[in-house]
Amino acid sequence: MTPLFVATPLSLSAPLWRTIPQPLALQVLVTAVGLALILAELWWFLGRHGGGVVASEGEQGVQEITITVDGGYSPSQIRVKAGRPVRLRFHRTDPSGCVAQVIFPDFQRTLDLPLGATTSIELLPNRPGPYPFHCGMNMVRGSLAAE
Amino acid sequence: MSHSSAGSPCCHAEPAAGTATAMERELAHELTMLRRKLSVAAVLTGLVVAATLPHMLGVHLKWLPGWFTSPWTQLVLSSPVLFWCGREFFTGAWSALRRHSADMNTLVAAGTGIAWLASLVATAFPGVLVAEGLPADVYYETAAVILTLVLLGRLLEARARGQTSEAIRRLLQLQPPTARVLREGVVTEIPVAKVMVGDLVQVRPGEKLPLDGVVVEGSSWVEESMLTGEPTPVAKGPGDGVIGASMNRSGSFSFRVTRVGADTMLARIVELVRQAQSSHTQVQRLADQVVGWFVPVVIAIAIATFVLWFLVSGNVVLASLFLVSVLVIACPCALGLATPTAIMVASGKGAENGLIFRSAEALETAGGLRTIVLDKTGTLTAGQPEVTDFERLRSGQLPAQTLLALVAAVESRSEHPLAEAIVAYATSRRGDAELPDVDVFEAMTGLGVLATVAGKEVRVGSPRWLDASGLDTAPLDPVVSRLERAARSVAAVAVAGRIEACFGIADPIKPEAHAAVAALRRLGLEVVLLSGDARRTSEVVAADVGIVRVIAEVLPGDKAAVVQRLQEQGQGPVAMVGDGLNDAPALARAEVGIAMGTGTDVAIAASDITVLSGHLGGVPAAIELSRRTMATIRQNLFFAFAYNVAGIPIAAGLLFPLTGWLLNPMLAGAAMAFSSVSVVSNALRLRRFQPAHRSVGAAA
Repeated sequence: MTPLFVATPLSLSAPLWRTIPQPLALQVLVTAVGLALILAELWWFLGRHGGGVVASEGEQGVQEITITVDGGYSPSQIRVKAGRPVRLRFHRTDPSGCVAQVIFPDFQRTLDLPLGATTSIELLPNRPGPYPFHCGMNMVRGSLAAE
Repeated sequence: MSHSSAGSPCCHAEPAAGTATAMERELAHELTMLRRKLSVAAVLTGLVVAATLPHMLGVHLKWLPGWFTSPWTQLVLSSPVLFWCGREFFTGAWSALRRHSADMNTLVAAGTGIAWLASLVATAFPGVLVAEGLPADVYYETAAVILTLVLLGRLLEARARGQTSEAIRRLLQLQPPTARVLREGVVTEIPVAKVMVGDLVQVRPGEKLPLDGVVVEGSSWVEESMLTGEPTPVAKGPGDGVIGASMNRSGSFSFRVTRVGADTMLARIVELVRQAQSSHTQVQRLADQVVGWFVPVVIAIAIATFVLWFLVSGNVVLASLFLVSVLVIACPCALGLATPTAIMVASGKGAENGLIFRSAEALETAGGLRTIVLDKTGTLTAGQPEVTDFERLRSGQLPAQTLLALVAAVESRSEHPLAEAIVAYATSRRGDAELPDVDVFEAMTGLGVLATVAGKEVRVGSPRWLDASGLDTAPLDPVVSRLERAARSVAAVAVAGRIEACFGIADPIKPEAHAAVAALRRLGLEVVLLSGDARRTSEVVAADVGIVRVIAEVLPGDKAAVVQRLQEQGQGPVAMVGDGLNDAPALARAEVGIAMGTGTDVAIAASDITVLSGHLGGVPAAIELSRRTMATIRQNLFFAFAYNVAGIPIAAGLLFPLTGWLLNPMLAGAAMAFSSVSVVSNALRLRRFQPAHRSVGAAA
């Protein structure tokens, strides 16, 4: 990075930059709360939460599930049976342009999701395994787990 | 070839054009909203910054009313910026949080929200900070400026993203909206969607063809460059296939529609490009994994930064500023956008030049090719063989016309391209001789045909095969050697065990072959000629176009094995270029299978890359485009990684103890906003790609 991105504080003269002695108890408290926050946050975002939702059995053996798109896919982890067609219905309520597309790289399929509408796609996961999907910018993600 | 274990998707076809326009409307709406919010944010943020200026600069402006610089005024001005203009960041972050996911919105909302909340505390309870010996400063302007910059970044990015899918939009717009259809003797102009297979469509000079079909009446020159990239107009007369979206030049004609809707060539091309854009490269998988972890890790780093600075300085305001900087400088978007944007632009650019990539992986692998195998017939040559020589042997006993009639009868049963040429020649020269009845017929793939006519055994095929069948081919040798040195393919005729005659068949080399091979060699590829033809014939053709390595006399079924041998010899990755029909196994065996399109029927599905025009210059062009794309992806990923790896420690205050530099959170926001814009802009540079080798090929 060049110094262009770096600025000296505009109000260096102010006593903002001074060191203030803090009681040990407060230092310990801040450290403990900080660590707890980090652990809680990592657990919340990266930990395992539930085993995913099982798609329901529809007519003619097609497994169906409706996924709401609003800041994320709900549900985002979907369990299906391998070798049987799966119909995913995406209902998009999130206006952000990022989620206007959902991409299934393993199937080489892209689905456009018009706002406020339900759009469906049929996929056939032949073999057991994970089939991840994600939005056009790869920020919002979900996965089909075929078993 | 495909790493995917997924089966072919079930039937879910959407009207591509309709969806695209709906998506376009949505993008337009998004842009309007972003612009509106950005202008409101800019005005309000300008006022907040103006209000903080006297304090920042440490001057007292007498004419500025006291209430204007009050923290309460700043609170009133900045709150709409955050909670109206930036509403989506907060709602998005909240719904993501509930679903255990964290994204860009999380970082922006947390960063600006913390700055705003801290300022609110300082506004309402200034005594708390003053008691600590700290100034009761507010940072409303920081929150407002960051939000405005991120909005600006998002606007620029949305505009750029619109441009990445421009190629598909342009392809869809190629189809004219209406067609002039002749029904019950009356010509009516009806929407293309209402035209059915079998309808008769009339085309006037200068009109675009609405659909695919076969010319019934009239003739003209048709430009197919928009689809195939082939610059020269093609002559069309009755019986010729035409493709929708091509442009009629000067003549008028009518054609019978053979394909509509999703079956048309245009629709298939659009579908293939969309498929390629939906697939992933290997190199992206790393980025994918990082993106999943990225935001939670950044939040952890931000909290740790706060704790460390609090322990070091005991200064809660300083620690908060570092916290905000770390949150807003991190940009997972740049990582997420690095590959898909480049793939989008490249596959669109390819389609514009008549090069269809089936997947992102095809682009990736084609960029790293080392060996390229060219099939001779139909790839290097025009694939329109013609008999140039007919040599009677002294051992021959049958009269010439009887022999030709016999050969015409036998060869008309074969589907081999050389057989067609022989039939055409023999039929026109047989004079009054009657075509005899063929009793038994057997085609020996790659060798010749074996038939029984009036109790006599007739063989037409390669001299090698006749020799291997135990016939005396000695009298044939000098003739064959002379013909092969003249680049002729040779087919000999034996009747009742005696060699009667042989045909010399010429297949003209494509005019652009020499330049295309030279271009491939300039790209550093080892070029190999693969042919089922005789060694000498193949070597003459190879020498003519500048190829050194020749693998000849290969039976069609063994071509895949040759490719495999090259791969095992460490010459890979190997590309195989063929017509996509006869050499499908070899195309599939190669790391990259490149099919040369011929006319209107394109076997796109079997290959990784299809050169729609069948123009050889398309092959180096495709490889060049692949290389450029992979270079762009590598640049993007490097930039995105480097930006975050360097930016986050600086924002965390790593340089502060050394240089006294503190990254102003507002600058951190600006850096973040422009990092994703620059990744998209870099990918958009691919739009300027000009296939250098293509024009060379066309000019030759």
